[in-house]
Amino acid sequence: MKRTLGTRTEINDSDAPAIAVKNLHKSFHLPTEQAFGLKQTIFNRLRGIKGYKEQKVLKGLNFEIKRGEFLGIVGRNGSGKSTLLKILAGIYYPEKGNVTINGALVPFIELGVGFNPELTGRENVYLNGALLGFSNAEMDKMYDDIWEFAELKEFEDQKLKNYSSGMQVRLAFSIAIRARGDILLLDEVLAVGDAAFQKKCEDYFENLKKNNRTVILVTHSMDNVRRFCTRAILIDDGKIIKDGKPDKVADAYLKLWS
Amino acid sequence: MSIPHVLNRKNRILLKELTKTDFKLRYQGSVLGYLWALLRPLMMFAILYVVFAKLLKIGGDIPHYPVYLLCGTTMWSFFTECTSQGIQAIVNRGDLLRKISFPKYIVVVSATLTAVINMLINVVVIIIFALINGVSPSPTWLLAIPAILELYLLSLGIAFLLGSINVKYRDITSIWDVLIQALFYAVPIIYPITMVASTSEIAAKIILLNPIAQAIQDIRFGLITSTTITSWNYITSPLVIIPIILTLGFLILGATVFRRKSKFFAEEV
Repeated sequence: MKRTLGTRTEINDSDAPAIAVKNLHKSFHLPTEQAFGLKQTIFNRLRGIKGYKEQKVLKGLNFEIKRGEFLGIVGRNGSGKSTLLKILAGIYYPEKGNVTINGALVPFIELGVGFNPELTGRENVYLNGALLGFSNAEMDKMYDDIWEFAELKEFEDQKLKNYSSGMQVRLAFSIAIRARGDILLLDEVLAVGDAAFQKKCEDYFENLKKNNRTVILVTHSMDNVRRFCTRAILIDDGKIIKDGKPDKVADAYLKLWS
Repeated sequence: MSIPHVLNRKNRILLKELTKTDFKLRYQGSVLGYLWALLRPLMMFAILYVVFAKLLKIGGDIPHYPVYLLCGTTMWSFFTECTSQGIQAIVNRGDLLRKISFPKYIVVVSATLTAVINMLINVVVIIIFALINGVSPSPTWLLAIPAILELYLLSLGIAFLLGSINVKYRDITSIWDVLIQALFYAVPIIYPITMVASTSEIAAKIILLNPIAQAIQDIRFGLITSTTITSWNYITSPLVIIPIILTLGFLILGATVFRRKSKFFAEEV
């Protein structure tokens, strides 16, 4: 199975845009029938069956994100938003085209990556911190702030499996917001916790916006797009069909179903 | 995978934390906890000792045979743990690979480091047993270091190679389980190599061309007794470098395949 590869480069240039995406393509090879396993693969080869189906997810995206922009990415389920985010984050390889990242990028594809139910809250904080690039010493310094923000101090020595799912997300969010970086990638992480905690999260996003951080937010909430974003793009069937003012893009998004 | 990249601060933090987690989780919820790292090989040794040394009366001509046996079983356990954990590491850590971007070799190395820690604890036990058994400390102990390193690099090479294939073809895990059973009997751990040599010198030489056998015999030579038959003192032809070539071959092949395939782990795992 020969695959072509595009490029993803990281640079550090204060004049260049934060992110530049040129002619980005991506497709996945989805196994048809039971193509997992050695036996089936050998049979398929003998029968001349490829054993997978090519699913084109991104079909030539072009855009740039300026420093300080708060960009919303919207689109239906399966339109390619998360794939795009994962390529920006360096998790997936671009198949064709190039992606240039300018500055330190912090991706939040999911909150609480690496959280382990068998470990205590304390151990998970250090583990998750390491995944965000923080050393033990750095975590020691922010440790109390994390628990205070999460409002879960009394549970720190409990195993994570004894936390409610809301509590886990709150803890994860409290760690995540410690991450430094020039560019933040956020995939649907606004909607966590109860109303009081939501308020805290919104304050955090307001703050990001005020401090002119470059943020890319994938979301289905048009309220958040209108409220936080300075620009938005609408992706449908792997292509950008609208790029511009958050209000306009949000309207276009809602029209997809009418 | 250039050198500065390998030593980069963020990757070091990640490697350390993942290894710590692996080690903690291994013994999570067991009453004896970390003690199992010691107890498991000791128990395996006890079984082998009773069966082979006492019931079948093998190894009478080897000085310090019990420690010699313990040394062999410990290093064998190290090899199997390293390879099995390493091969499964990418699949086991699939959640991480799908959600954050980091050099993938870190999960493989962290999985094998747990085995390294276990092995080092057991080397201390071997040394204590050796001293009790009347082995006197000697500078040859240092010879065990390169041999252990070789065994580790071989395991790492196998883990990289088979681990990359295992992402798509999970059969590898099962195949390796069976293969390792067969390999166990191909390496002179429970039987002395002299037993083979007495019937066929050629067979004994072939056995000693296996890098696992060569490394384990070298470790025994260094730590336990200089009467140990090693590849170096038994095979006289230049073929004696075959184990080293095989080790380097697996390492280079493993690293190359891993590098190429790792780009797609996130979407295939």
